[in-house]
Amino acid sequence: MKLTILTQDLKKGLSFTERLTGKNLTLPILNNLLIEALPNFLKISSTDLETGIEWWGLSKTEEEGKITIPARILVQVINNISDEKIEIEVKNDTLFIKTKTFKTQIKGYTSDDFPIIPKFSKEEFIEVNAQELKDCLVDVVDIASLSQIRPEISGIYFVFKKDVVNLVATDSFRLIERTLKSETYKNSFDEDIKFILSQKTTKEIINILQEKSGLVKIYYSESQILFETNLNEIDHPEINLISRQIEGNYPAYKEIIPKEHKTRVFIDKDSLIKQVKLAGLFAGKINEIKIKTIENNLEILSQDIELGENTSVVEASVEGEAIEVSFNYKFILDGLTRIKSNEAVLDFQGASSAGVIKEKNNESYTYVVMPIKK
Amino acid sequence: MKVMTQEQIWQSVLAQIKLNVSSANFATWFANTRISDLEEGVLTVSVPNSFSKEWLEQKYKTDILKIIRSVDSSIKDIEYIIAPLKKSFSTNTVKINKEEEQLGFSEFEKDEETNLNPKYNLKNLIIGPFNEMAHAAGEAIIDNPGEVYNPLFVYGGVGLGKTHLIQGIGNRIRSLHLNKKIRYIPAEKLITDVVNSIRENKVEELKKEFKSIDVLIIDDIQFISGKTKTQEEFFHIFNVLYQNNKQIILSSDKHPGSIGALTDRLKSRFEGGMIADIGMPDLETRIAILKQKAEERNFNLSSSALEYIASNIQKNVRELEGALNKIIITEKITKKPATLDDIKKQLKNIISVKTKITTPEKIINTIFDFYNLDNQELFVNSRKKEFSRPRQLSMYLLKKELKLSYSAIGRKFGGKDHTTVMHSCSLIEREYAENQKFSQEVEMVLQRIYSE
Repeated sequence: MKLTILTQDLKKGLSFTERLTGKNLTLPILNNLLIEALPNFLKISSTDLETGIEWWGLSKTEEEGKITIPARILVQVINNISDEKIEIEVKNDTLFIKTKTFKTQIKGYTSDDFPIIPKFSKEEFIEVNAQELKDCLVDVVDIASLSQIRPEISGIYFVFKKDVVNLVATDSFRLIERTLKSETYKNSFDEDIKFILSQKTTKEIINILQEKSGLVKIYYSESQILFETNLNEIDHPEINLISRQIEGNYPAYKEIIPKEHKTRVFIDKDSLIKQVKLAGLFAGKINEIKIKTIENNLEILSQDIELGENTSVVEASVEGEAIEVSFNYKFILDGLTRIKSNEAVLDFQGASSAGVIKEKNNESYTYVVMPIKK
Repeated sequence: MKVMTQEQIWQSVLAQIKLNVSSANFATWFANTRISDLEEGVLTVSVPNSFSKEWLEQKYKTDILKIIRSVDSSIKDIEYIIAPLKKSFSTNTVKINKEEEQLGFSEFEKDEETNLNPKYNLKNLIIGPFNEMAHAAGEAIIDNPGEVYNPLFVYGGVGLGKTHLIQGIGNRIRSLHLNKKIRYIPAEKLITDVVNSIRENKVEELKKEFKSIDVLIIDDIQFISGKTKTQEEFFHIFNVLYQNNKQIILSSDKHPGSIGALTDRLKSRFEGGMIADIGMPDLETRIAILKQKAEERNFNLSSSALEYIASNIQKNVRELEGALNKIIITEKITKKPATLDDIKKQLKNIISVKTKITTPEKIINTIFDFYNLDNQELFVNSRKKEFSRPRQLSMYLLKKELKLSYSAIGRKFGGKDHTTVMHSCSLIEREYAENQKFSQEVEMVLQRIYSE
């Protein structure tokens, strides 16, 4: 195999693919990248057997061929190259890298033992704006539960309906739902497509969408899912991310989102965040702060037996019943910081029922949080 | 050649493959594979994920086929399907970690398929004279669902463990009879389901779904009182299940005979199986319950403290738990073990609320609700038994609980003569002593008056 490629392109390809490598002790081949020289393209693949990533970059290919190379050493070498172009050649299971100023050879292994990344039927697909999808995923991904006791809720729930996308995560104490409505969104399947992906896979998806303008295509099969982005220059895939879905049914999460409220508070987001952070200093081991409405103010109290206590007041507009309820302040901060504008709406239904954090005049974000028992 | 079972065929494949590949490769690609079907010379092998599928299909296809054909020459081809490992069901995954005061979404604790909450199991249900009959009936049902005591109707006051018992029965049946389809549904949910199905024109689908259930458990069935359409649909569902020997378990806060606005045909069906009541736990049982709850949470409570709490909170198990919570939380905050005196101080609120005196309005309103009366005028004046009996009971309770004078009571009921009131009271007193069903009813009314 023999080809020439732009250094910048190769670095990009490595940065997408190497993240899946380097964590497998039982099957050392998984620490390698599969490098293939195809007509006009260099293809790099990696997998951890849950997720697989394939990347294509334009190249001048003189001779086709393939090899696997340990990811870490290859990445370190390429990252130190500042010349514009790189020449790659494989002879006798060794990778030769050559630039104007530079010559390296890395020992590789045959590609025969590298896992085969599953293929997909590409008839039906979903198409959505990459940046919009990424923004939603960034909001929800960290809320998913880390516990493996309920594998379903350790993942991110993707719901692609006919005209709207819902992305949901929960750790059983709070739940976040982001709704994506967009003119460019398309779903060619007959029914709604729903699946659960692990937090790790979702983070990989965020990574591949990071600097992608335009659309991302999503293909679906019973147990697998494929995200595909295109090269900017020509109509050819740049990245295929294939992942296993998490088995099981996601809980009927809509039932958790309260439909009504007894108290509604309109409040300035930034001032509230500031005061919640302050109260958090005295929130003790269980991070407890108390939120209380006093006429048109929201009072935030916290108390730590050893450290001291704190009371702060934030101006607000309060509708409905007076309320006094305790929360984990970190959960409240997570809910508030995801609001884009400065106008937050807090809904409560009593001291032992879920509270809701929303953005004023914006239906695309809902954050439900359970209180601390009094 | 002797015929091998599918399992043996696959074992021989694995044994031979293992000799020829590295152990890492073997563990990665062949773990959790098995034969799922063999039909017309095509062997179907199930694999846990699509990576394994691609690998076996593309790398080992000829090897595997060769080995298999040497074992069974009738096999012509192999197909691979992805079959994720089935999670095994266990009721022992219940982690009791209530140390956390942080509340979670209760919806997540439920089992998706049965709607049962695995935290309710019969092992941690304390049995005492107050619930042993209901429990024994449950045990009999667990062994032979649908064949004895159908329906099982459990009734008793709030916080005495009805839900725990019926869900516990459900969970137990689930673990013993794996192929039985079990469904737990609170009556309110049943009502909304029926209402929604009518609105969306899907009544038949709803009925069909219910008819496929082997064990149907409905909690708080008294809520269907007055819901004519739900009663009608439920009547049909009930009949179909009953005729097919499917088990039905119901719970209610009162005897079927006392559920107001319930059609007679449903009433008689509810009474047609086994009716078991759950009463108040006695002191020893309350102590046992408290002790167990404390143990579940790794909390030490002295026996004098146990006794103090149990003897002062008498009517409701849930309140026992509430008292315990309070003690545990206080101890965590103050970081020193509570003495009996501390406990007395902490529980003063809870206990004094319990012994607090109720008001005449509360008694009358509770009775009004309990019997589902809707007409104040008739309640005061009607001679019909459905109105006069609750009226007499109200008078009796006003006398007994609040020690109001007979004439004061008379004034509350549109200026009735004090002799009328006296007559009513003695009537109820006699009935209370002679009729067990009625006395239970009175106990339940009392409990409601003091529990809300």
